[in-house]
Amino acid sequence: MDILPQIILNSLIAGSLYALAAMSFNLIYGVSRSFNLAHGVFATVAAYAVLFLAFHTAIPLPLTITLGILMAVLLGYLLERSIFRPLRLRKASNLVLLIASLGASIVVEALIAIFFSSQFQTLSSLLPPFGTLHILGGTLTDLQAFIIICSVVVLGVFWLVLSYTRFGKAVRAVSDDEEVAKIVGINTNAIIGIVFMIGAGVMGLAGILAGFDTGLEPHMGFILLLGAAIAAVVGGVGNVYGAFLGAFILGFAENFGVFFVSGEWKYAIAFGVLILFLLFRPQGILGKK
Amino acid sequence: MKKTWIGLIVIVALGLVVWGISSMSGNQATNDTGAVKIGAVLPLTGDAAVYGEPLNKVLQIAVGEINANGGINGRQVQLLVEDGKCNGQDAASAAQKLINVDGVKVIIGGFCSSESLAMVPIAAAAKVALISPGSSSPKLTNASPYFVRNYPSDSAQGAVLANIAFTDKGWKKVAFIQEQTDYAQGVQSAFSAEFTKLGGTVTNEQFPTETADFRSLVSKVKSGNPDAVFLSVQTPAVAARILTQIKQLGWKPKLMAADVVPGDPETVSKYKDILEGTLTAEFGTDATNPKFAAMITSYKTQYGEEPPYQGYAQTVYDSAYLVQAAIVAVGYDGTKVANWLHTVKDWQGASGLVTIGANGDPITGHKPEVITGGKVMPYVK
Amino acid sequence: MEYIFHLAILFSLFAIFAIALDLVAGYTGLISVCHAAFYGIGAYTTALLVQSVGLNFFFALLIGMLLTGIVALILGLVFSKFKGDYYVLGTLGFTYIAYTVFINWQSVTNGPLGVPGIPRPEIFGLSFSNSWSFLILSAIFVGVVYALARFVVSSSFGRVLRAIREDEEAIAIFGYRTSAFKLLIFIISAMSAALGGGLLASYLTYIDPGTFGITESIFVLSIVILGGLGSLRGPVVGALILVLLPEALRFVGFSPDIAAQMRVLIYGLLLVIMMRYRPQGLLGEYKL
Repeated sequence: MDILPQIILNSLIAGSLYALAAMSFNLIYGVSRSFNLAHGVFATVAAYAVLFLAFHTAIPLPLTITLGILMAVLLGYLLERSIFRPLRLRKASNLVLLIASLGASIVVEALIAIFFSSQFQTLSSLLPPFGTLHILGGTLTDLQAFIIICSVVVLGVFWLVLSYTRFGKAVRAVSDDEEVAKIVGINTNAIIGIVFMIGAGVMGLAGILAGFDTGLEPHMGFILLLGAAIAAVVGGVGNVYGAFLGAFILGFAENFGVFFVSGEWKYAIAFGVLILFLLFRPQGILGKK
Repeated sequence: MKKTWIGLIVIVALGLVVWGISSMSGNQATNDTGAVKIGAVLPLTGDAAVYGEPLNKVLQIAVGEINANGGINGRQVQLLVEDGKCNGQDAASAAQKLINVDGVKVIIGGFCSSESLAMVPIAAAAKVALISPGSSSPKLTNASPYFVRNYPSDSAQGAVLANIAFTDKGWKKVAFIQEQTDYAQGVQSAFSAEFTKLGGTVTNEQFPTETADFRSLVSKVKSGNPDAVFLSVQTPAVAARILTQIKQLGWKPKLMAADVVPGDPETVSKYKDILEGTLTAEFGTDATNPKFAAMITSYKTQYGEEPPYQGYAQTVYDSAYLVQAAIVAVGYDGTKVANWLHTVKDWQGASGLVTIGANGDPITGHKPEVITGGKVMPYVK
Repeated sequence: MEYIFHLAILFSLFAIFAIALDLVAGYTGLISVCHAAFYGIGAYTTALLVQSVGLNFFFALLIGMLLTGIVALILGLVFSKFKGDYYVLGTLGFTYIAYTVFINWQSVTNGPLGVPGIPRPEIFGLSFSNSWSFLILSAIFVGVVYALARFVVSSSFGRVLRAIREDEEAIAIFGYRTSAFKLLIFIISAMSAALGGGLLASYLTYIDPGTFGITESIFVLSIVILGGLGSLRGPVVGALILVLLPEALRFVGFSPDIAAQMRVLIYGLLLVIMMRYRPQGLLGEYKL
């Protein structure tokens, strides 16, 4: 039996989740110029919000998913206002932001473990049983197909917004040079704040999708974040399209790595890719020098 | 300014520790009227907290019952639970604290083998008895005169299953999907040793604990066309993830599973179609055992759900009662309690008749079982 | 008393790790999150040599340090190209890779089963098997590492390191080969961490891969950050506080499973608060 098509499909599914995470990670990096290690908790919080609302309230499912994403957006806003903005205004270095965001990530993860326990839980019982699609000798569920579509749609939306709207132009201006953007009259703090909220929302979506597909636990966001960070570096830090590309490269590397090498070397493969890129192409595939 | 900062924090931290120590060691349980202190070390945070959290509740229930029925010789039992985080370093800290600050003579734990392995030398040096209700590493057999366990070694279930798989089922090639934990690896190596001795071949795909995406791993195993697949995992949640993904790939292999899977009724019933016919071996639970049934009922009334990991819940529950029986028999003395625990014979508990051998392992082992119609049934040839 | 000894020993070991890390993070400005990997290599080498080969502990410790030094040499050459937060990412990657090696190289490391029954040090018929003698041993080592670090940072070598931290390009103009300096301090730091790792293995008598993961690296980093980057007393004070704090929380009286999460929570909160209000740490002179 030829399993190549299946491995390719698996890579696409994994790559799509990484893509959502990495695009939002890079969007935020683009304007804030620092690695946000708390990015993972947006996914965790959104997924747990859906879990809570769906099992403890009578709110219909589409609304709980919306509320879940809004929870991530709200958290994005809170973190930006309480930690990142004050630090940025103080001209703190990237490392300060990185460590502060790591601390924030630890705090939120611990809070979730306190309220929801560390037990592995799943959202899939909320949906009717998944149908399976057969494509070129491989199988995937309709939810997984939906995840792949989501990542492409989000990419498209990002492209449209960044290229054709005033807001998008402002974001690009801030990404290019915050000082210049300020001088030409862009309210950079507002732009950065909104980008944080958008990034958090997209990451929240990724978390909810992962919760439906494989399940949720307090640490899930951090794992997703690691993937996002690697994909971001591979594709080009701060570049949304690069992140998309990097995510699929990582997805393929991991899944083909499992097939050709072995499952237990998964982390070594992922981080090996990271270090190789840092060494030989630190600006990533699409990044500028 | 700087100096005051540091001074303040250091003083507060030191003060808390000193205050804690003095308030705790003031009523050392050596007098005969105060509470009898029993320590416990369970993984309450980290990956293994999924066990530690519910099993801590089971332990609290058992101690609550003991106290409601007059405690130990009229003295109440005070249970002191510490977090071992399923790793050696934290378990060592926890054991040191329990032994030297609280002055306990008996500790229930560790739960993870890594916890127990680190605690054994500390307990032996301090002459404190350890009873582990969950550590199954073969390395703990004969570990110390101060260590016993009422949960059997992994080598038991691996060997039982290898014989049935090879002889009864005629499987020649078994593919393992193994989580990288001491327990899952113990099961795998015990099975592999026996199975290859019989003439079969074993392949092994391992994965790190946090893995959520098993699709390519499963695809790879599938392409190897094994006669059967053995899921050696640490938690039912991981098994559930793998089973879902096997199902999604439209595959229906013959399955074998480590005892955590049949130990979780929810997984067994939820995945009954794919698990149909799964061969497993469990340090079985026996729902007709009145003590076991009573434990399940009190857990249900207190927490509104059945306890998960019942294979472990029963040994945790029994460990509290074994400690009670030991102290009633020989008094609150680590050495005597440890000696007594090594001689337990046909003691009736929630996990059935418990007999502990001179090597510190329970004599009762794993019984082969098969999953049929969402239920775990005894295996018949 | 045993408990106090135990805490004092833990404090000493983490002081060693923290001083080692401070040499690269605080004095040279390279925030490394792979020090757990270094003390892991030291711990595994020492443990395995003592246990299966039967070498004397101190000899094994020396080999462990040398091996870690070699790994650090190779790694340092690789990492010399990274700066700032990329350096953090690169070292983070190495921590995961090292962890994967510890858990997968099963014929040597025993994989997830870990290495149990590691004996305590012995020399000239003198055994460090009880806690107070082990405490004296680790206190001596803390003293040695502290003195060595003090010597390094107050020498002209140390001054070059600080200059690299402040402005690497400027010091390079004066003809200093900054990469060589960075490499050398990285190796010294890694070897000191390995020393602590060997002691840790022998003290716990049991090690498994989980003892050397990313959380431990971050823990050591937060010790240094709390205490203060670029000061040698800083990491010592930081180690004292962060080793005692979780123990203190044991006594405050939350229900056990919440208390355990609370410890993690507080230590995350501490990172946020320090970064927000006092990024140079309690005693530090270097602001990130």
